[in-house]
Amino acid sequence: MKRSKVIILGVCLALVFSILAACSKNNSTSNDPEASSGSNSSQSSKEVKLTFFNTSAEINTVFENLFKVYKQEHPNVTIELIPTAIGGEQLQKFQSLLASGKPATIANLDAGTIHQYKDKFLDLESEKAKYENLALPGAIDGALLDGKFIGVPYTAQGYGLLYNKRIIDEVIGSSFDPSTIKTRSDLEALFKKIEAAGKAPVIIHGADWSLGAHYQGLAYSLQSNNVEENRKFVEELKQGTVDLSTNTAFNGLMDTFDLLKKYNARKNDPLVADYNKDSADFAKGEAAFYFMGDWSWAVIGPLEGRDKDFGILPVPISDNAADFGNSQVAYTEPKLFAIDNSGSTPEQQEAAKAFIEWMITSEASQKAIIGEAGLAMPYKDRKVESSNPMSSAISKYVAEGKTVNIGVINYFPSDWWSKTGASMQKYLVDKIDRAGLTKEVQDYWKSTAGK
Amino acid sequence: MTNKKFLHNTGTFLIFGGPSVFAFFAVVLIPFLFGLYLTFTNWDVRSGDHTFLGLANYVEVFQDKTFLTQLWFTLKYVLFTVVIANVAAFFLAFALTSGFKGQQLLRTGFFTPNLIGGLVLGYLWQLLFSQVLPYLGQKYGWALFETSWLTDTNKAFWALVIVSAWQLIGYLMIIYISGLMSVPVDVIEAAGIDGANGFNKIRKIILPLSAPAIVICIFISISRSFLTYDLNLALTKGGPFNSTELSSYHVVQKAFLSNEYGVGQSEAVVLFVIVAVIALTQAYFLKKLEVEA
Repeated sequence: MKRSKVIILGVCLALVFSILAACSKNNSTSNDPEASSGSNSSQSSKEVKLTFFNTSAEINTVFENLFKVYKQEHPNVTIELIPTAIGGEQLQKFQSLLASGKPATIANLDAGTIHQYKDKFLDLESEKAKYENLALPGAIDGALLDGKFIGVPYTAQGYGLLYNKRIIDEVIGSSFDPSTIKTRSDLEALFKKIEAAGKAPVIIHGADWSLGAHYQGLAYSLQSNNVEENRKFVEELKQGTVDLSTNTAFNGLMDTFDLLKKYNARKNDPLVADYNKDSADFAKGEAAFYFMGDWSWAVIGPLEGRDKDFGILPVPISDNAADFGNSQVAYTEPKLFAIDNSGSTPEQQEAAKAFIEWMITSEASQKAIIGEAGLAMPYKDRKVESSNPMSSAISKYVAEGKTVNIGVINYFPSDWWSKTGASMQKYLVDKIDRAGLTKEVQDYWKSTAGK
Repeated sequence: MTNKKFLHNTGTFLIFGGPSVFAFFAVVLIPFLFGLYLTFTNWDVRSGDHTFLGLANYVEVFQDKTFLTQLWFTLKYVLFTVVIANVAAFFLAFALTSGFKGQQLLRTGFFTPNLIGGLVLGYLWQLLFSQVLPYLGQKYGWALFETSWLTDTNKAFWALVIVSAWQLIGYLMIIYISGLMSVPVDVIEAAGIDGANGFNKIRKIILPLSAPAIVICIFISISRSFLTYDLNLALTKGGPFNSTELSSYHVVQKAFLSNEYGVGQSEAVVLFVIVAVIALTQAYFLKKLEVEA
């Protein structure tokens, strides 16, 4: 009797300790920078473990495969992906990692986020010259934040009115030439023809990020061709010294939005905002236009039964063909690779620098990023041709210098797109009118003054 | 002798209770107290350090109009979710203790939603509300389902209530079943002989005798639905235009999206106090209704 009690006690103790042991084992292999720095000092640069925080959620697996390739070439470097979900709580996850003292070594973030957390990232000034040699003219300048080089751009993206060439060709009876659409009236005439042919002219994706960050973001970028000028404009908005209701670019853009609204294929239920369905319907020809960017290729590319030929038009803002914005597409280097400087060891940082260079220059990564993911890379020495007709179309605009630099949004508060995107959603479903929208947007800006 | 017994008892407690006590301190109590401390500061993840502010954050909480309207919205949501989930769970439990064939299988079936995480559940229902139902609605001309429920402020509210209640029902049902099983059969039979009909049996005998189960169920459903976050995120993302943001969701947005940690954290504390007060008060008053068989 007594013996059995002892045995039971022993078993219980063993269980408890094994659980505790399992916990502590987990801790030592986790990405705790201090733990790995301890091992680094004893067995110098033998084994480096990097974590990679990824907000380009649509290509999580592409990155994961690349890390495996890199591991084969560099056996002493292990890179672990910290994935996020599309449109999910990406920023929250990044912040909680940072706050818990376990930041990711490399972060693939929106330029705006990097600007907000600029104190946490490594200054890459010493690498700048190297990347300037590698990059297309202007690409590194476009990635500077407050004049400093803290993030390496790996992709260039553009957005506007994507079009399905087959549908438009069928409607107009000849091969569509995008340069024939120079003004809002041109676009409206085309929409009318498409509708008369029994097709849906355009899909507006009703999510707040598309309406807020992308569509409304244009309004601030169209003020001038100079990011600093646009920043000044927003500062004045915060102070309340300029009035959006009399602003030409803003009103022109919203007039075009009214037009898109009128011909929206999602008119019955504009806010459904199913990204995969919207992209697929556009790719299969259920609508001729789609307000979106070349990144939608990640959905469209692998789709079965899709159309082949796609292009992009700028969002026209007036009836004067010469106005800035009517022949320029929105173009940006939205995501930058930045290296953590708040909890990572020098070994990890060096390994991260080498890895980022590999991501930009190696054939394997270019194949994955350009070939597989269909993104455009703003670098000269490209070993792979893009499979994405939309980003090729955007590259043409870039080569001709016909772009709108939307870099101003990098300096906006992080809740900007969500708050003003909600106002745009209200406008889309006619819950507020133009005056109401203008007021809500201006009120938002005023509320951020001094923060 | 007693000393030895004391040591023995302490040892036993440490073996069995120690790990949970440790876990409770490490992941509940200490973070909670530290969080409470942070509400008096202007802590910011970007700078990492903080200065003491006093009650300034709490003042701002009560000036945050969106927080107050969303608190009201949350109260409505909790009220409907708790009532619907409890009433449905009670009658389900009642039906599933009547002793027909296959009731075990049905119990398992109704309990399953509880095993699925709120996120998965949210995405499943999101697909249902935004794709499947509108498709059926358009095909068969059901006006109610022709557009997605999640794009209309009122319908999105009901969508949230329905899905939350649906998730809770199975869990509450299990508690009600055990409550109902403890009601002595002879008392019910005696009531039947005295001429009580089905409704009177429920009202006069079964309800009072299963009061402990009711207290627990209401307590659980109140505290759970007040803190709903995952469902809110997966189902509506607070939309359309932030009209369905529940308090927890708002707290997270405030703290992490708008970078106002102090205010967000203070709102979380306010929410905690409200939940605690409501849940404890109802438990106190309902407990008085309990009777012995």
